[in-house]
Amino acid sequence: MKIICIIKQVPDAEARIRSTAAGIDLEGVTFVIDGMDEYGVEQALRIRESGVEAEIIAVALGPKRYEEAIRTALAMGADRAIHLETEEAFDPITQAKLLAKVVGEEAADLLLVGGKEADWDSAALGAATAEALGWPHSDWTTELELTANSAKVTHDADEGSEVLTLPLPAVITTQQGLNEPRYPTLPNIMKAKRKELKKLSLDDVGGAVSKIVILKQEIQTRERLNKIIEGDPMEAAQQLVKLLQQDKVI
Amino acid sequence: MLDYFQVDPLFDNEAQQTRAAARKFLDGEVMPHIRDWFEEAYLPTGLAKSFGDMGFFGANLPVEYGCAGLNNIAYGLLMYELERIDSGIRSFASVQGALVMYPIYAYGSEEQKNHYLPKLASGEMIGCFGLTEADGGSDPGAMKTRARKEGSHYVLNGSKMWITNGNIADIALVWAKCEDEVIRGFIVPTNAAGFSANKIKHKMSLRASVTSELVLEDVRVDQNQLLPQVEGLKGPLGCLTQARYGIAWGALGALEAVYYEALEFAQSRITFGKPIASRQLVQHKLVEMVSEHSKGLLLAHRLGMLKDSGQMHYAQVSLAKRNNVRVALEAARSAREILGGSGITVEYSAIRHMLNLETVDTYEGTFDIHTLIVGRDLTGLGALD
Ligand SMILES: Cc1cc2nc3c(=O)[nH]c(=O)nc-3n(C[C@H](O)[C@H](O)[C@H](O)COP(=O)(O)OP(=O)(O)OC[C@H]3O[C@@H](n4cnc5c(N)ncnc54)[C@H](O)[C@@H]3O)c2cc1C
Repeated sequence: MKIICIIKQVPDAEARIRSTAAGIDLEGVTFVIDGMDEYGVEQALRIRESGVEAEIIAVALGPKRYEEAIRTALAMGADRAIHLETEEAFDPITQAKLLAKVVGEEAADLLLVGGKEADWDSAALGAATAEALGWPHSDWTTELELTANSAKVTHDADEGSEVLTLPLPAVITTQQGLNEPRYPTLPNIMKAKRKELKKLSLDDVGGAVSKIVILKQEIQTRERLNKIIEGDPMEAAQQLVKLLQQDKVI
Repeated sequence: MLDYFQVDPLFDNEAQQTRAAARKFLDGEVMPHIRDWFEEAYLPTGLAKSFGDMGFFGANLPVEYGCAGLNNIAYGLLMYELERIDSGIRSFASVQGALVMYPIYAYGSEEQKNHYLPKLASGEMIGCFGLTEADGGSDPGAMKTRARKEGSHYVLNGSKMWITNGNIADIALVWAKCEDEVIRGFIVPTNAAGFSANKIKHKMSLRASVTSELVLEDVRVDQNQLLPQVEGLKGPLGCLTQARYGIAWGALGALEAVYYEALEFAQSRITFGKPIASRQLVQHKLVEMVSEHSKGLLLAHRLGMLKDSGQMHYAQVSLAKRNNVRVALEAARSAREILGGSGITVEYSAIRHMLNLETVDTYEGTFDIHTLIVGRDLTGLGALD
């Protein structure tokens, strides 16, 4: 079978990101493969290690720098990769259409997509790609088991979980708990250098125009008040409670 | 990674991937325990296998011997990431790679390479490097350990001091003087009759690392255990150049760790109504740290380029090891100072790094010995011997 894992690259969780008048300043930021996508790659590898003959392809839609995240997926064990390279930003619906073309051409049986993007918090891409392909979709998946032509999944619901079966081909979006991704080892990083990384341009998949134009992006900042309440501890405590109530903290 | 001068874009993809993979693994698997290991003077045995699985041992040696085959900048960044956790942890990997695997690779027979390197790379086998003796590590040419030829065997007698991994090693790479007064290297199985290792206790530095005395009493090894391709002091010194290269990178990892800790503390610690980071005296310390880290990283990067192109000179390695370790040690002392009273506990990493770096400043050639090596190179006049 053919398994495709969609890969996204996001700023490292520890990265110090600044917003400026011009937008988000990513200068000097370290980027990594999105942790939610890593669950997908890991799951694909586990499917293969369980004895299913599978080719695992990492597919990414994004700027040149995404290559590093793609290499990480290859170092984890994906067989080859396709990079739909563009410096343009697209909304999830348009991204899904572009990716669906690649997935359709590869005639994949299973598509694994990160459940939620670590940077912009969107969970739309998996569902949108399923829609574009006309495939069934399981979101927030915490367990996945394959049979000959279907997938049995457990996925999180709002408060609880559901067990479903989906006919293949299907789209599975990941949730924390699906697995514990392996670390790419140094020998595998070196092997990954020789694996195929095919580059496609937007024209190769028919081009696209984003449905949404981003006007402004801002990063949440935490500012300290640095307020020190002086004086008698009893009075200070009362004043603190008042302040917390005022700001609706308690 | 602390990278004030944007050196990162100068690294190739292999180096960047190596650094990211190493950091991820080490932050996940080692960082959460290192404080306890240091405090309890403990190095878990399982670390050998997981480091082997990750490809951390002899990572710049060729793939055909089971190694990762990294370029030297990627290798340097691996040392950086290891020492960002702890100098003892870096020592564990660099002794195995640069001081045990490298000499077997560079001076060993094809049989020795095929037999030992894959096992050392996977962590199935641990090695140690026995050069230093109790009477003056700075002058290894004066060693007293002897190897006498008897038929098809060599018989070794003597003792070695301050040997990293000594008690946990399966093989010891022992340097000894033969009957012709020439120093040669021997791969000694540590289960050979007459071989013993005694753990050095009461260390206040490199506690998450095993340091031992080795005693060799009529230890008989087959003549095939001799490293055939090297004679004289240049054998062990060649290994030390490899290890010192890694240390020049590693020390900067420790510097990064103490810098971020000090910065964070200074930004949140409030005295006289203001964070101490707003004070000129504290800022001066932080600026010195970043300034030295930036210079050191550029130096290490250039050294790596020279090593990869086969142009690196041992005196350049001495200069880089001497400089980068000393600035890291000074940064750790300053970080400890910024942390105030909190800085004296291992709840914070500054004092652990500071104590560790005292060893790093001393081993692999002390700061002063490297001054004399570079001084001799500059002037053509030897003040060392
Ligand atoms: C934790 C630890 C781990 C170690 N691991 C290993 C290992 O795995 N394998 C190994 O072989 N060794 C190892 N060493 C030994 C280390 O390399 C030596 O300690 C080091 O070379 C210094 O030798 P020494 O301690 O005998 O000091 P000495 O050589 O006695 O030096 C003492 C002082 O005198 C100074 N000095 C010496 N000669 C001169 C001179 N000519 N001019 C001016 N000053 C001079 C030195 O700079 C130093 O300050 C380790 C040491 C430590 C502490």
